[in-house]
Amino acid sequence: MSRVCILGVGSPSGDDQAGWLTVDALLDLGIRTGGGIVIEKLDRPGSALIPLLGSTAWLILVDAMQGEGETGQIQRFDQTDWPHYGQGLSSHGLGVIDALMLAGELGSLPPRLELYGIEVGGTTPGSSPSRAIRAAATRLASTIADQLARSF
Amino acid sequence: MTESLRSVSIHVPVLARVEGEGALDLRIDNGVIAELRLRIFEPPRFFEKFLEGHHYSEIPDMVARICGICPVAYQVTAAQALEKLFGVELDPWARAMRRVFYCGEWIQSHSLHIHLLAAPDFFGCSSAIELARIAPEEVRRGLRIQALGNELMDLFGARSVHPVGIRIGGFHAAPALSRIQAMRDKLRAALPEAEALVRWAARIQLPPDDQAFISVALRHPTDYAIEAGAIAASDGLLIEAESYDDHFAERHETHSTALFSTYHQQPYLVGPLARLNLNRDRLPEGIKALLAETGFTLPSRNIFHSLLARAVEILLALQEALRLLDHYTMPESPWVPVIPRAGVATGCTEAPRGLLWHRYEMDDDGRVVSARIVPPTSQNQGRIEEDLRLSLLNFGLDQPDEALRLHCEKVIRNYDPCISCATHFLRMRVERT
Repeated sequence: MSRVCILGVGSPSGDDQAGWLTVDALLDLGIRTGGGIVIEKLDRPGSALIPLLGSTAWLILVDAMQGEGETGQIQRFDQTDWPHYGQGLSSHGLGVIDALMLAGELGSLPPRLELYGIEVGGTTPGSSPSRAIRAAATRLASTIADQLARSF
Repeated sequence: MTESLRSVSIHVPVLARVEGEGALDLRIDNGVIAELRLRIFEPPRFFEKFLEGHHYSEIPDMVARICGICPVAYQVTAAQALEKLFGVELDPWARAMRRVFYCGEWIQSHSLHIHLLAAPDFFGCSSAIELARIAPEEVRRGLRIQALGNELMDLFGARSVHPVGIRIGGFHAAPALSRIQAMRDKLRAALPEAEALVRWAARIQLPPDDQAFISVALRHPTDYAIEAGAIAASDGLLIEAESYDDHFAERHETHSTALFSTYHQQPYLVGPLARLNLNRDRLPEGIKALLAETGFTLPSRNIFHSLLARAVEILLALQEALRLLDHYTMPESPWVPVIPRAGVATGCTEAPRGLLWHRYEMDDDGRVVSARIVPPTSQNQGRIEEDLRLSLLNFGLDQPDEALRLHCEKVIRNYDPCISCATHFLRMRVERT
């Protein structure tokens, strides 16, 4: 069991890389897998997310989100305050919130869970992420790094 | 006393998102179905054009992108077709491992469909999340089996989604013996879970249903057909993939961008129940005994037995993978050399959702001149419409609108079409006249 698991969820579709970029920014800050920390990029994991949840004491999950905010706006959700989620944006499978809800029903959620959503703009397959998303990922990585520094 | 017959119009405008967009239109005039149309817009059609001009070596990776759930089916079918044209004789190792790779896809795809998409319908649940409240152990077991299927795909494909392991002539690499040994242990451990899954699926109360339909599936001389075989139909047809066009036709319908397939001008069923109906004699004796114990008799005319058929095929795929990996040795080379030649290549395998047929015209340099891909969902489209019509009549057209909509969704999801993920999020508009 890891002390903390940081997962960046995304796809190679423009701003949908927000979670991956956050992981890249954390790596740039010197945060690596090891010493009780697991840091990983996931490509639309669907239900494969669930087994990962039960093996950590603290999960930090970063994903792109489409809400009503400006592109690059970061929102933090805690253990129960998940955004309303009506219809998935990903293809053919469970979205992140669906997987978390299913894991919750199965008693597989970690004791501590933080979900970060980064508001995205364009998600055209194959396109590059926008400057706003890159900047948001860097900001969020700093926030997470500060959290880790305070906790360990 | 006279009872006035209802007139109802149900439109389900969005059935799907990325893997295929679909909709359902149902109009009942004075107690009679006046219109019933399943509209599906299948992305795989675009790929046929994308493939033109590409070198044969690129084809397995390109066609893997057609579907995130059944990429192996597309890869193996394309490879089978091109290897046949190029006169490639696969090494026995590669031939066996192709089947193992395919088993992984059946296991993950079937488990996904049973537990996350179809089963909630039969327990009065709107989603797998609700199902997990009343059957947590069964859902956990389903997720474990699905994960094992993904792991098996990852073993040979380097990743489970859009794997990259297959090349024309074999595989790019052979997994190390240590990884195979670890996989064998997991497969063996999963067998009792899969047996329990079959028993559980057999106990699910299904809607009564009795329909006459033609089953179409591959049939192999000795094995339960997965990655190889001739095309068979329940009326006795047995043909090679090259003769597909002599018996099957695709046609456009104005209400759908997907093609409708017919067999001798009739709709037909492909998929797990069609496979079991046609290949029940190819099941291992242990599985036959288990089915006899559960009381599941074949052939079945209840299309809702598709869920149980998927459970049976999960058990079969686990057993097959274990059998084929039992005496695994590292090959001298995981692939054999290929020399391309011009001509027409056809291939056919059993994707999780049913028969998948490919045809490629290749030039002298081994580049695609034209491609044609007939996926299972478009083959089942006519059958789904026919089934909806029959099962709605059986269900009762005087049922409330919401009940009608849910029943339609249940029927559609039962086929596990590529739009199945979205059919859990059906949005509908009801108009009364």
